[in-house]
Amino acid sequence: MNHAENISLHGRHLLGRRSFLSSSATALSSIALSSLLGGDSLLGSSLKSGRPEIDPKNPFAPRKSHHRPRAKNVVVIFCAGAVSQLETWDYKPELIKQDGKPLAGGPPVTFQGPSGNLARPQYPFRQRGQTGKWVSDMIPHLAELTDDFAFVHSLTSETNTHGPGENFLSTGFVQDGFPSMGAWLSYALGSENQDLPAFVSLLDPRGIPQASINNWGPGFLPAEFQGTLFNAQNPIRHLSPPKSVTGNSDQAARDLLQRMNARHLEHNPLDGSLAARIASYELAARMQLSVPEISDLSTEPDHILKLYGADDESNPTKAGFAKNCILARRLLEKGTRFVQLFNGAYASGGRLNWDGHSKLKEQYDVHAEILDQPAAALIKDLKQRGLLEDTLVVWCTEFGRMPMFQKGAQGRDHNPDGFTCWMTGAGVKPGVSHGVTDELGRKAIEDVHPLYDFNATILHLLGLDHERLTFFHNGIERRLTNVEGHVIHDILS
Amino acid sequence: MKRLFIALSCFVAFLSGEVLLAGPVDFVKDVRPIFQAHCYDCHSEEAQKSGLRLDVKSAALTGGDNHGPDIVPGKPSESPLIQFLLTGNEDERMPPKGPRLSADEIEILTDWVREGAVWPDGVDLVELEDTSDHWSFKPIEVAEGKHSIDSFIEASLHKNGLSLSPEADKVTLLRRLSFDLIGLPPTPEELEAFLADESPEAYDGVVERLLDSPRYGERWAQHWLDVVRYADTHGFEVNTERKNAWPYRDYVIEAFNANTPWDQFIREQIAGDAMGKAEATGFLVTAAALLPGQIGKDEESMRLARQDELGEMVINTGEAFLGLSIGCARCHDHKFDPISARDYYTMQAFFAGVRYGDRSVVDPVVDTRAADLNKRLRPLDEELDRYLLKVGGGTLRASLSARANIERFAPVRATGLRFTVHSTISENRHQPYVDELEVYNGKGENIARRSKAISTTGKPEGAIDGVYGNESAWKSNLKGGGVIELAFRKPETIQRILWGRDRTGKYADRLAETYTFEIKTESGEWRKVADDSDRAPFDRRKAKKGLFQLADISKEDHSRALEVIAERTPLARELEGYAESRQMVFAAKSGSPETMYLLNRGDPEQPTDVVAPASLSFLNPVELPRESPDLERRKALAAWITDPENPLTPRVVVNRIWQWHFGTGLVATANDFGNLGALPSHPGLLDWLAAEFVRSGWSVKDLHRLIVSSKAYRQRHELHAEGLAKDADNRLLWSFPSRRIEAEAIRDSILAVSNQLDPAMFGRGFDLFHARGGTGGFKPIESHQKEEGRRRMIYAYKVRMEREAVFGAFDCPDGGQSAPRRSQSTTPIQALNLFNSQFTIDLASDFSTRVRQEAGDKAENQIQRAWELCFGRSPEADELLDAGYVVREHGLETLSRVIFNSNEFLFLP
Repeated sequence: MNHAENISLHGRHLLGRRSFLSSSATALSSIALSSLLGGDSLLGSSLKSGRPEIDPKNPFAPRKSHHRPRAKNVVVIFCAGAVSQLETWDYKPELIKQDGKPLAGGPPVTFQGPSGNLARPQYPFRQRGQTGKWVSDMIPHLAELTDDFAFVHSLTSETNTHGPGENFLSTGFVQDGFPSMGAWLSYALGSENQDLPAFVSLLDPRGIPQASINNWGPGFLPAEFQGTLFNAQNPIRHLSPPKSVTGNSDQAARDLLQRMNARHLEHNPLDGSLAARIASYELAARMQLSVPEISDLSTEPDHILKLYGADDESNPTKAGFAKNCILARRLLEKGTRFVQLFNGAYASGGRLNWDGHSKLKEQYDVHAEILDQPAAALIKDLKQRGLLEDTLVVWCTEFGRMPMFQKGAQGRDHNPDGFTCWMTGAGVKPGVSHGVTDELGRKAIEDVHPLYDFNATILHLLGLDHERLTFFHNGIERRLTNVEGHVIHDILS
Repeated sequence: MKRLFIALSCFVAFLSGEVLLAGPVDFVKDVRPIFQAHCYDCHSEEAQKSGLRLDVKSAALTGGDNHGPDIVPGKPSESPLIQFLLTGNEDERMPPKGPRLSADEIEILTDWVREGAVWPDGVDLVELEDTSDHWSFKPIEVAEGKHSIDSFIEASLHKNGLSLSPEADKVTLLRRLSFDLIGLPPTPEELEAFLADESPEAYDGVVERLLDSPRYGERWAQHWLDVVRYADTHGFEVNTERKNAWPYRDYVIEAFNANTPWDQFIREQIAGDAMGKAEATGFLVTAAALLPGQIGKDEESMRLARQDELGEMVINTGEAFLGLSIGCARCHDHKFDPISARDYYTMQAFFAGVRYGDRSVVDPVVDTRAADLNKRLRPLDEELDRYLLKVGGGTLRASLSARANIERFAPVRATGLRFTVHSTISENRHQPYVDELEVYNGKGENIARRSKAISTTGKPEGAIDGVYGNESAWKSNLKGGGVIELAFRKPETIQRILWGRDRTGKYADRLAETYTFEIKTESGEWRKVADDSDRAPFDRRKAKKGLFQLADISKEDHSRALEVIAERTPLARELEGYAESRQMVFAAKSGSPETMYLLNRGDPEQPTDVVAPASLSFLNPVELPRESPDLERRKALAAWITDPENPLTPRVVVNRIWQWHFGTGLVATANDFGNLGALPSHPGLLDWLAAEFVRSGWSVKDLHRLIVSSKAYRQRHELHAEGLAKDADNRLLWSFPSRRIEAEAIRDSILAVSNQLDPAMFGRGFDLFHARGGTGGFKPIESHQKEEGRRRMIYAYKVRMEREAVFGAFDCPDGGQSAPRRSQSTTPIQALNLFNSQFTIDLASDFSTRVRQEAGDKAENQIQRAWELCFGRSPEADELLDAGYVVREHGLETLSRVIFNSNEFLFLP
């Protein structure tokens, strides 16, 4: 009956509590029970809480945002392993000039070891579209779309280690155990679709990202708000019973369970938690129909498969990622609140993700091929269907890379001091480049934004004030942005 | 991110201009209105950006987080307050939003500061909250008179026009007690005995039986492990196995079963290594931690990682024992509680000598003895080496032993060693195991122990960890082969290798049959020093023996060698015994304390004052000299926490115990008794319980007895409209707060009613996943047919962040952050897991088998038995009809699957 999200607010707000205490003779005199009974109303007037009210029987009901949202849904293209800003979006002609020279005053030792000399971008850059934005040839399909993107080139992270870095990007904390952004959003906003999960995480065909479940976990939020894991290759776990169970007996079991639970409820008809469990089996049954249907890409026409590269038989990983991109679009079409689309997997010497320490060019050739066409197709497809009107597309990575190569290697080390992510779609100003790194791309120097700001901006676009979206845990009103965060207004339309 | 203050000298000229105002500036009339108009949005009671507030004199003159005081009386050019108004740097200039201050306003403020920043007392419109004036920081107070749990509960119910519900029936009570105290349903036999016993002592008898059951500790230890975020892996992206975490888990189970007084429980967890309970200090290092390879090679990264480690100890201690979020003060003074950043660092100083790592749990006495044995063995071994048969000396060497084999060769200078297994006995059907690999230099020192081991075919550490036995062997993952390589710390002259498959002699399989040992020369080349080519063929009958084989030496030498062997054998045996029995535990590794600094903004690169250990300054702090050794520090901290005069410790624990019985604590925020925490619903009851608890000698079991014998606990679960209208959350307890049982209780109960629960206690965790760590993900084991997988879930190997595939979705904490109370979510994923998992289907089959055995073939009898086992009652007529149809048409297994999913099975009644 007591749902965690409803942990009472009594006495929590300093002002209200203090005025209450001052009116009682001693701190331990009988605490006014009315304060325990009155719920939020007692403190309501002085509270500026933006905590959502959750109906335990229907935790995924759509809920109001704090202000008018610019975007209803989000898809996050999450590139695990730290994509080099210098090979992609952050053009540094000075780095070409200084290729092979040592970085004056640069760090002698970085994350993995001794630094080598500066190394030019490993791909040619050229200007694109109306804005003339310089983008590399590594990602030609995405490069075509840059007129629509808003880049933030001056992001910083609080760590130079992948796991904590992904934690920080997804949860606002470097530690394990905090709620992911998708969990915050489904907690805040519920879902427009009661037959599908509010938050879906689509894993890269190559495997799980480095911080694994932290990227889609509920942390200390109630478990219902975590991401549901599936992709075009793997269905939801336990979506159907093992093969040994026949269809008839499955239906009979479902019916009997319904009757037994209904009969049990009669003894305590006012117990919401019993009713909620009955409802959860009903939603599960609806998901058993809706999820296979949405995952069935056979209804997609050939030209769509071709657009995404899902038909690329020569590159099964690319085709797999492309199918995930199509699945993402289908989920967004059906009103899924938050779709997390992973590109890149776990630590593997840069073989399975963007962690290009030793053979950056060689490995990025492979990764870019997988990412580029499918991700670009997703954006085009969303646009042509009008879905970009209320869908926010975010491209992100946990940190960037150094302008030097590592000593004795052909790759770059971790650099949390200045890297690039971008967004496009609902509410985003197209064709802007915000923030600047120094001429070699070592550090952000203008309009510096810790990732808190980037996350605050995403919440803002969804109609949420990052300072008011809170959950009380272990003594603190926790937020996605800890005690930091400023919305980056310059990239909003 | 950090708004660092930058002094700009160009202001000074401007500031020394003329004075525009006639008389002295008045704070109330002239200054405060400017603050109100421009500053209070961010720097007053509502918000204190950068820790600064300008509405209260004492706070304003102290300043914010980032630099010294903002107002330096008489010196406007040195006052950040003024400089922030004038700076040319837009990012720094105040206010960041809204209209700028006019030139006149700036002049007024400048003059005010120059005139001494006169801020009269008593003019402030608000008072600074005294954050230490808080109920939980005050002494425990019990009013005169006779009290009981029910006297408090009923008093507040009556005041609100409510009352307790009537006592629940005996079936409900037994099920409630059983789930609550041991996490399992009662057996039909236990129920029958309870129903038959009409004596007034029947209920208490059940309580005693349950509290005495070893199952009790397994249930209640889980609650504590949630709080301390216990896991068997290190966390973060590599999430490697934390091999020796489980002795701490077992310690907690034993402590609950033994009813270890809570104050002692606390002392052992903080300083158990001073009390012969080193495993208890696993508490200090339960957090996720970065392994050396995950920490940057640069100094800054290493300092930050160390601060994170220390921080986790402070956080755990504060939350678990004191209900305080001390961790919040790492970067700045706590916003709501009287905990300063200095307090944080003086608390941290108690742990300055603690590092994360494996340590042996054996007695220091044994350690001393082992060191002594080693010392006596060394010269004997050095001498013996001279007489041993060397490799390739033309004499056939003994056939291989699974226990120990010697490779003696001419002394050779080496920087590393490579052991390549080419084949194993039994036609390469198995992966080779090696336990232990010892490499001796001329001084009789085993240098393998201090080398770095690498292996491309399985984790190598077990081979050189000094612990004997199968569990701690190097296990190759390649059938019939494998490679293990040692890198010595410095070049060594080595002459003897001792290796086996299991030094305890228990196992003789998986033995390497053909192999090569190579050493790495100083110039980096590999050179063979030994192989199997001159050994007699493997002889299974001799496989468990291990012998010294003497060279062709003089008679004199020969008899001397025998003497040496006779002298060394008992010593070596004793030492091997220690190595075999030695259990390591991941716990506090005690060392000499580092110097601790107060860090500005929590930044390890900005140390300020050196700090000495001291507990929280507002709560009768204990302070120690800066040079105190590690154990003295931790003992002092434990003594301070468990001092009966410390009002937090007993309140926090009785509240936890109450919460684990009733679902919600008297204080709903069990980890937070500070100003932001919830107020107690029954303050008098909380204090009375705390006082009783301390009086009983901190006895947790006595507290259980007190609670479960109350009417509040024994009442029915009966929700009614009046109660819901007045107290929707049932905080006053007008009905027993029924709730879904936890993940572990669900899994354990399904196994128990199916007669499949393996009662084996303690030890290394059983696997829920195919991997025990690593980056490739954790593929769940779908079917747990082996006994081990049918143990209680507390014995499962707990992978941090990775929830068990079926039951984890039922709000299992993930070991990331402390989980003082489990949320009770209800999700379709839970429904899918419990309805469709292979585990459910397997156990439905096992349960059906049991029911058939006990009830025969008739559907009615089967249903009767199933209801008794799972619900503790007989089916009603319509249930019999419904279930009968399903059993006849779809089999008993279908019914079993339904029962495991039913609300009646899954709720604490």
